[in-house]
Amino acid sequence: MNGAYGYLVTRSLRNRLTRQIARLRSPRYVLALLLGLAYLALIVGQQHSAPAPLPANTSRWAELLLAVGVMLAVTWAWVIGSERRALAFGPAEVTFLFAGPVTRRELIRFKLLVNQTVVLFNVALWTFLLSRERLGVSAWIRALSLWTLLTTLSLHRLGASFVRTSLLAHGRYGARRRMASLAIAIGVLLMLVWAVADALPELRTAWNAGLRAWLGALGDVSEGRIAGVALAPFRLAVRPLVARTGDEWLRAIVPAGLLLAAHFIWVLRADTAFEESAAEFAFARARARAGRPQPVTVPSRLRLPTPRLAPTGRPATAIAWKNTVAALRSPRTRLVLTVYAAGAVIAGWLATIEDPAPAEALGWLVTMWSGFLLVAGPQWIRNDLRGDLLKLDLLRSYPLRGASLVAAETASSALILTALQVGLLLIGWLAFLVNPIDVPGLAGRTTLLVVALLLLPAVNGLGMLLHNGAALLLPAWTHLGSGRPGGVEALGQNMLVLIGFAALLAMVLLPPAAAGTGIYFLLERPLGYYGVVPAVVAALALAGAEALVMVRWLGRVFERLDPSVTPVQA
Amino acid sequence: MIEVDGLEKAYGDLTAVQGLSFQVRPREVVGLVGPNGAGKTTTLRCLAGITVPTAGRIRIAGHDLAAEPVAAKQVLAFIPDEPHLFEYLTVEEHLRFVGRLYGVADALVRIPRMLQELELDGKRAALPGELSRGMRQKLAIACGLLHDPAVLLFDEPLTGLDPVSIRRMKATIVARASEGAAVLLSSHLLHLVEEICTRLLVLQRGQAVAFGTMAEIVAARPTLAGRPLEDVFLELIGQEGGGDR
Repeated sequence: MNGAYGYLVTRSLRNRLTRQIARLRSPRYVLALLLGLAYLALIVGQQHSAPAPLPANTSRWAELLLAVGVMLAVTWAWVIGSERRALAFGPAEVTFLFAGPVTRRELIRFKLLVNQTVVLFNVALWTFLLSRERLGVSAWIRALSLWTLLTTLSLHRLGASFVRTSLLAHGRYGARRRMASLAIAIGVLLMLVWAVADALPELRTAWNAGLRAWLGALGDVSEGRIAGVALAPFRLAVRPLVARTGDEWLRAIVPAGLLLAAHFIWVLRADTAFEESAAEFAFARARARAGRPQPVTVPSRLRLPTPRLAPTGRPATAIAWKNTVAALRSPRTRLVLTVYAAGAVIAGWLATIEDPAPAEALGWLVTMWSGFLLVAGPQWIRNDLRGDLLKLDLLRSYPLRGASLVAAETASSALILTALQVGLLLIGWLAFLVNPIDVPGLAGRTTLLVVALLLLPAVNGLGMLLHNGAALLLPAWTHLGSGRPGGVEALGQNMLVLIGFAALLAMVLLPPAAAGTGIYFLLERPLGYYGVVPAVVAALALAGAEALVMVRWLGRVFERLDPSVTPVQA
Repeated sequence: MIEVDGLEKAYGDLTAVQGLSFQVRPREVVGLVGPNGAGKTTTLRCLAGITVPTAGRIRIAGHDLAAEPVAAKQVLAFIPDEPHLFEYLTVEEHLRFVGRLYGVADALVRIPRMLQELELDGKRAALPGELSRGMRQKLAIACGLLHDPAVLLFDEPLTGLDPVSIRRMKATIVARASEGAAVLLSSHLLHLVEEICTRLLVLQRGQAVAFGTMAEIVAARPTLAGRPLEDVFLELIGQEGGGDR
């Protein structure tokens, strides 16, 4: 049976690659490939080729950061992650394998084999990207370390999804089924907070001695008794990756390998409710691919109120309204709103306490996260053409110009992203409200908030246009549908997209940003703070002009898109 | 009215539709029949503005589909065999959405009527995921009919419907035609075509092999006189054994 699985996986992969490569007959895809290769060469070319091992201090920090990253990924898988993603069997797989003489355990093994294609691709990607950085160990050893880490995480996600699916199958909906995982996550978080609180005097003293000393003190806290226990399993998983010598690596890989083996056994045994859920999910996915909807699991009583659509007006508004309603009815929206409400309450409370440090930390955290959303948000929020292109036939039959449709589709996701960012900025503003933080002062912070409110829709609109443009121009190479390749095992490809997108966005934003900044500095002397008004107007006008050009061009691309020759699939 | 002149659609070396010319007049129901791969769906998709033809001209209610795509699509409805619905819009919201999209000023008046006509009034707050296959098909049909299109294109309209719904669907198609719509439907169900279509367009390998009323088609081929539609169809598409059945 394993031979059959191997055959299925390798032949499917080969055929898929062949079809993707065949797309290179189109100059558009050739250009995309050349740009992608140049981008990769640029990243690799920037690395140092010196075979120096990691400095001890760097290795220590790398281990801590990676361990925290893995902890966050694991927390995400348990608390927020989709319990069904890992059960993504295709309808043909269900028809042939579920109905075939195959044990449940063999099905899981097959699933693991399929997951390995993603893991191995990302291992190869990271190994290639870091090929010139020797960091003390050979590329092969680093590849093995990466494989161990990514496979462990992939197995953990799969195991978590089995457990959560099992709970779902037993009728535990929403927050209730997340309680146990949430409690463990909060427990780990409390341990870390406790460790920091315990070491607060030392951290304060180190802060006065400078950033380097403070970071050192923070490192000591992370290695202390309490935080050490909380982070131990995560450190175990990442340690081979930061080993500086062959000996260190050998000492680290044995426990990491045991952790991997434990996960493998856990996943093979945690198969409760697996088969029915997988089959049900597979057929739901098949329906979605055929243009039919998936059953929605949010009960009507839990649905958020949605805006009403006026019967008359601009037709394209209906597209934006549809996407907004879809976002509001997504099962994740309620959770996000709850987190925001809790964040606002905590910010309000922290702003009133005597010690300004926690409020300041929260303020900076949410502000930075809001900034990070500028580049990550368009990858995560996909209720636009990237979702609707799967219904290309339907879109093409609408009485709308291509440009109107592209504008409406991108506007809806840009507005949702803007709302998320504005929410974070408001929480940050609230956290800074009462505390006497001078740089910038309250007036300056409020001005910045207003400027952000004005500029964010334009920046997000341009960002969404770039992503939607990629989907329209290269549908065969773009992941369509509401989901995207997820999990830490797909981190490499997602990071490459993120960095590439950030560079493109920076290029698009350069003219409006330069114009706005230039005008502000010109008018700062005569107008003072009010110089920001013409600066914002100029930046918005230029961004608007860019958006208009992109919308018109992409509209023409959409009008030429032929569903019968364009492979549009999830 | 649908006017098709010299329609051609090629995918690389494969020509799916070739030199197709026909008209569908108001109050007329034309049945598009042919074996699998004859080019029926390609033709319908070209007429709906979904697929761009390689050559030829299409006019929908007087609007050139290539030059005035928005005006042409404003007066047509394409109802595919698989209902394409939005996961997070309720039944009523789908109709409101379509009403706004097509600029139906009295949509709020029409929607309850439409829901009742298609027996969906008890499901107005349901999401598509909560509907059966047949109900989703009815909703897709309701969305197509809401703006009272002058041209209706149906691709296998009876797929997934129960016998009662099939009867209602047939009545709806005939009623729309009698109210002035030009209807073109593709179907493998020859008895449906025989029952409700005023003329037939038989396609084979992307080309029209017959077009007209049954009487006109038979008159051009006297050997087919008195034979049932199934035999006529098989003869037209070159399945010689058809006459022996």
